[in-house]
Amino acid sequence: MRFLGFLLRRIVGIAAVMIGVSVITFAISHIIPADPVAAALGDHATDAQIAQFRAEYHLDRPLPEQYFIYATGILHGDLGKSIRTRRSVADDLADSFPATLELSFAALLISIVLGVPAGVWSAVSRGRLPDYVVRVLSLAGGSLPVFWLGLIVIGLFYYQLGWFPGGGRLDTFVPPPPTRTGLYVLDSIFAGNLEALRSSLVHLVLPAITLGYFSTALVARMTRSSMLDVLGQDYMRTARAKGLREPVIVLRHALRNALIPTITIIGLTFGSLLSGAVLTETIFSWPGLGRYATASAVSLDFPAVLGVTLLAAVVYPVANLVVDVAYYWLDPRIQHG
Amino acid sequence: MTYRRSSILFVIALLVAAACSQPPPSGSSQTPQTTGGAASTLVWYADTSDLISLDPAVAYEFTGVLLTHNAYETLVKFEGADLATIKPALAQSWDIKDSTSQWDITFKLRSGAKFASGNAITADDVVYSFQRVLKLNKSPAFLFTDIAQIKESSIKASDPSTVVISLPKTASPQGFLAVLTFTIGSVVDSKDVKAKETGGDSGSGYLLDHSSGSGAFVIDHWTKNSEVQLKANPNYTGSPKPALGGVLVKHVPESTNQQFALEKGDADIARNLGAQQITALQGKQGVVTTTGNSLQLVYVGMNVTVKPLDNVNVREALRTAIDYDGIVKDLFKGGAKKVQGIVPAGLAGYNESTPFQADVNKAKSLLQQAGQTAITLELLVPTGPAPGGVAWADLAAKLQSDWKNIGVTVNIKQTTQADLLGTYRAQKGQLVMILWGPDFPDPDANVGPFTDYAAKSIAFRNGWDDKTIAAKGRDAALITDAAKRSAAYKEITDYVLHNGPYVVLYQPTEPFGLRSNVKGFVWSPMDWTDFAAISK
Amino acid sequence: MGKRTPILREPLNVVALALITAFAVCAVLAPLLAPYDPLAQTLSSRLEPPSATHWLGTDSLGRDIASRILYGARISLIVGVVVVALAGVFGTFVGLIAGYAGGLADEALMRFTEVFLAFPPLILAMAIAGALGPSLTNAIIAIAAVTWAVYARLARGQLLSLRRREYVEAARSIGASPGRILGRHLLPNAIAPLLVQASFDMGAAIIAAAGLSFIGFGAQPPTPEWGVMISEGRNFISTQPWLSLFPGLAILFAVGAFNVLGDGLRDVFDPRLRRAG
Repeated sequence: MRFLGFLLRRIVGIAAVMIGVSVITFAISHIIPADPVAAALGDHATDAQIAQFRAEYHLDRPLPEQYFIYATGILHGDLGKSIRTRRSVADDLADSFPATLELSFAALLISIVLGVPAGVWSAVSRGRLPDYVVRVLSLAGGSLPVFWLGLIVIGLFYYQLGWFPGGGRLDTFVPPPPTRTGLYVLDSIFAGNLEALRSSLVHLVLPAITLGYFSTALVARMTRSSMLDVLGQDYMRTARAKGLREPVIVLRHALRNALIPTITIIGLTFGSLLSGAVLTETIFSWPGLGRYATASAVSLDFPAVLGVTLLAAVVYPVANLVVDVAYYWLDPRIQHG
Repeated sequence: MTYRRSSILFVIALLVAAACSQPPPSGSSQTPQTTGGAASTLVWYADTSDLISLDPAVAYEFTGVLLTHNAYETLVKFEGADLATIKPALAQSWDIKDSTSQWDITFKLRSGAKFASGNAITADDVVYSFQRVLKLNKSPAFLFTDIAQIKESSIKASDPSTVVISLPKTASPQGFLAVLTFTIGSVVDSKDVKAKETGGDSGSGYLLDHSSGSGAFVIDHWTKNSEVQLKANPNYTGSPKPALGGVLVKHVPESTNQQFALEKGDADIARNLGAQQITALQGKQGVVTTTGNSLQLVYVGMNVTVKPLDNVNVREALRTAIDYDGIVKDLFKGGAKKVQGIVPAGLAGYNESTPFQADVNKAKSLLQQAGQTAITLELLVPTGPAPGGVAWADLAAKLQSDWKNIGVTVNIKQTTQADLLGTYRAQKGQLVMILWGPDFPDPDANVGPFTDYAAKSIAFRNGWDDKTIAAKGRDAALITDAAKRSAAYKEITDYVLHNGPYVVLYQPTEPFGLRSNVKGFVWSPMDWTDFAAISK
Repeated sequence: MGKRTPILREPLNVVALALITAFAVCAVLAPLLAPYDPLAQTLSSRLEPPSATHWLGTDSLGRDIASRILYGARISLIVGVVVVALAGVFGTFVGLIAGYAGGLADEALMRFTEVFLAFPPLILAMAIAGALGPSLTNAIIAIAAVTWAVYARLARGQLLSLRRREYVEAARSIGASPGRILGRHLLPNAIAPLLVQASFDMGAAIIAAAGLSFIGFGAQPPTPEWGVMISEGRNFISTQPWLSLFPGLAILFAVGAFNVLGDGLRDVFDPRLRRAG
C-alpha cells in the first residue's frame, strides 16, 4: 500500500513536470516572429497551398486552442505532424530515439568501465603521479567542448590512422539487422548476425568515447573523492589493524561504499548525455535524436522540437523512477522502514 | 548491495528493450536485400536532410528530385547537361497545334515501353499520373496549375498510345514542354499505384518510399535519415542501359566527413564539398574533382519601398561598388561565374553583359547625384553555406566592406533561411541576400518572378512595381520564334540590369569530388544526374 | 590565517587563478594586445601556419587567429559573466522567496523550478535560440534560461537550513524586518555554495555558447567567438588543423581554470560550513 502511494506520488510528480515542460516549450515555439509554414513549402508556394498547410497544422486557431489540441493528442500518443518531414512526430522520434539510446548506453558503459577504476587508482595513489594524471585528464574532461573533441577524434583516428570509421552506424554495405529494439548491437545479437554486430560495435567506438569523455571524467572524480573519504574512516583503520591486505581492503570495503555517490552521478549524467548527443551526432553523422533536434530547430519545426523536448525531459525521471521501483522491491529495509 | 543499482539499471533497460521489441516485420522494406556488393554500387555521399518524399507528384526538393528523376521517365527530356534541345523520352514524337482558343499538344508514346513491374506503358498511365499531381496539389503542382494552367480535364487519352493536353492561349507551349522534363512529369504505373491507394491519397503513402515507374533504377529502400538505395531496373526499356548494379545515397551532412570518406574510398562521389575541400583534394591519389553548372543565381534584393533605395542612382551606386571579380577569384577560387543579369548562363535569353566592377569614384558620384552621402541599411543574410560552398557570412562581410568604401554602412543580420524567407515574402527586408533557382528551364522562369509584381514573387518582395517591364516579360514568354524571343529578352535584361532592384553577384558552379575510377558522371543544371550513364 | 592561504596552498589553484587573471586581462585589454584587427581580411595570406608574423596562423579569410582569440576571450568573458549574473540573480531571488515564504508559494515556485531542471540544457537552449533567432544575445538568454534553476534550489536549501539558526530568532525577537533578516543575516551565509556553482557555471556557459555557435544558433561569423572559430575551421581539419585547434585549447584552459577555481572554493567553504553547522 505504501509502495503504491510512493509510486503514485512519483508518477503524478512526473506528469506535473511534463505538463510544465510542454507548456513552456509550446510557448517558446510560438513566439517565433517568422512563419515556418511558408519556409517549409519553399519559395514557390501559392497562397492557397500555404492556407491549406496552415489549416492542416491547426496554425489558424488561437494559441490556447492549439495547445489543447496538442495536449489531448498526446494522451492518444499523437505528437502532431512534423512541418519539415511531413511525417508524424511520433514516427520520427521512434526512428531516431534508439540510435541515441544506443550511443548513450555505450557512453555510459565507457564512463563506468574507465571512470571507476581510474578514480580508484587515483585515490589509492594519492599525491603521486597516477593521481595527478587522472586528475588532469578528469579536469580536461569537464572543460573541453565535446564537438571539438569529436573533430580531433575523427581527424586522428579516422582520417590519419584509419583505425575506426568516421560516421554512421554501420559499414556501407552491411545491411542493418532486423529491427527489434532499434539498438543495432542488441538486434545483431538477437539475429545472430556477427557481421552486423562487429560493424555496429566498431562504429560505436569513436562517438561513444567522445560523448562519454565528460561523464567518464565526472565518474572518476566522484569515485576518487568518495574513495578518499572512505579510505580515511574508522572502520578502515580497523580493517587494517586486523591485518587485512591493502588490495582486499580497497576492493571489499572501500569500493562498495564509495560507489554509492558514484551511482547517483551516473543517473544524473544520463540526462546530460542527451544534450551532448546533439553535438556528437552532428559530427559523427549519427542518425539520432540530437541530429533530429538540430534539424528541427533550424527549420522552426516546432511540433518536432516539442516532441524532442518532451521525450528528452521524460527519459531521465522515468529511468530514475524505474530504478527506484526496482530498488524498493529488492531492498527490504526501504520496504519496512 | 550498492552496485546492484547500476546493474539493475542495465538489466531493466535490456528487459524493457526486449519487451518493446517487435518481431521482425515480414518482407517489408525494413529488411533490405543484399546490396549487390561494392563493385557495382555507386556510393553517393550527400546532405539529404531535404528529402521529404519520393513521390514525383510531391518531390520538389533537391534530393527528392535527383532520386525521382532516376526512377521514373517523363514524356520528354533533356540529354545530359544540354538544356537547349528537348528530346523524346516516353513520347517518341509530339505536335503543337494552335486551335484558336487553346493550344493542343499531341504526344505519341514510344512503342514497347514498359514499367519496372512489366506492365506496358499506356496513355491512361500518363493521364493518371498528371491528374494525381493536380489532385494532390503539393509543392510542385503550381507548375501545372499556374505555369501551364491545365486542369484535370485538359489531359486526355485519345487512344492507348496517344495523349492530348490542352493549354489555354495564355500559357506557353514551349514552357510546358520544359515543365514536362521535370520530375513532376513522371509517368507512374497506374495499375500498381491504384492498387496501393489508401484513404484517397492517390497512392502518395506508398510512393513516399517506393517507386513505381519505368526509369533506369528502382527504389529499393529508404532508411529515414540514413540512406536511400536504388537498384538497376532489369525491365528498363529506355537507353542507355545502366552499367551500375545500384546506387546508395547516404546521408552525411558534414562536408569534412564527405571529404574524408572520399579520400579513403568509402564514398565514390561527394556532393556537398566546399571550395576548401576541393582545394584540399587536389593532387590526392585516387580522387578527382569536377564541376557542374547550375541555373541558380545569388543576388541581393533591394527593397524599393525603403528610402533611399527608391532612387535608381542609389541602387546603381550599390551595384557599382562591388568587387565581383574578387568574389569569384578569391572567395570561390574560380568556382563561380560572374553573371549580373537575371537570366543564368545555359538558358536562352542569357545576357552576357557584366558592366559592373568595383568603381568607387563612379559609385560615390552617383550617390552625390542622388543627394545621399550617408546611408545606413540592414542586410539580411541566411546562416550556413551559400551555393558554391562559401559561408553566406563571408560573402556578406565582403559586401559590407565593399560598400563601406563608398560610405554606405551596412549592418549584417543573420537569420535562418526559413526566417529570412518569411521576412522577405512579407516585403519587410531592406537588403536581402539570397539565391534563386528557376523552376523549369525556360527564361520565363526567372524573368517572370524578377519583373512581374503581380506574380507575387521576387519583384513583389522588393516592392518593385514596374508595369511596363512586367508586360514586356509576359509578352516575351509567349513568343514562339526563337530569334524574336531572344531579342525581347535582351531588351528586358538590359533594362533590369540598370533599373531593377537587384545586385546579381554570381552564378554558382557545383563542385563534386569523385573517385578516379568513376566514369560518365555529368551534372545537369536541372540539379540532377543520370545514374544510368555512370560506371565505375 | 585568512581565507586566502588555504586556497593558495594547492598549486593547481594558483595556476587556475593565474589563468583566470590572464583571461580577464586578455579580454579587457584585447584592443591593445591584439596585433591585428580580428575582422581584417587579407585574402593574400590565407591559411598560413603559425609563424613569426602570425603567431597562431591565419584562417580561411586571412584573419590573424591570435587576435581573434584575444577578442574571443572578451566575448566569452562577457557571456560567462552575463549568464551567471542573470541566472544567479534570478535563480537566487526565486529560491529565497520560495524558502522564506513557504507553503503554497514555495510549492508552486519549486514545481516551476523542477520543470526547468527537467529540460536537457542544450535542447532547451536550441529551442529558445531557434525561436528568437541566431545571435549571441539570444544564446546568452537561452543559456541563462537553462542555468537559473540550480540557483533557486541551492538558495532555498541554504535558506531553509540557516533560518533555524539562533541569530535569526534573535534578530526576529528584537523586531528586525524580514528584509533586514534576509539581507544582513541569511544572504551572506547562503552565498557560499552559490559562489561555487557560479564558478562552475562560468565555464559551462562558455562551453554552451561555443556549442550553440558551432551548430549555428549562437554568435555568427565573422564574430571572433571561440565556438564560431572552431566551426569555421572544421572544414580544414585535415590540412590546417590549427584553425580549430587553438580556439579549442583556449576554451579548454579558460573553462578548466574556472572548474579548478570552483573545486578550490568548494574545499574552502565546505570545512567552514561544517564547522559552523
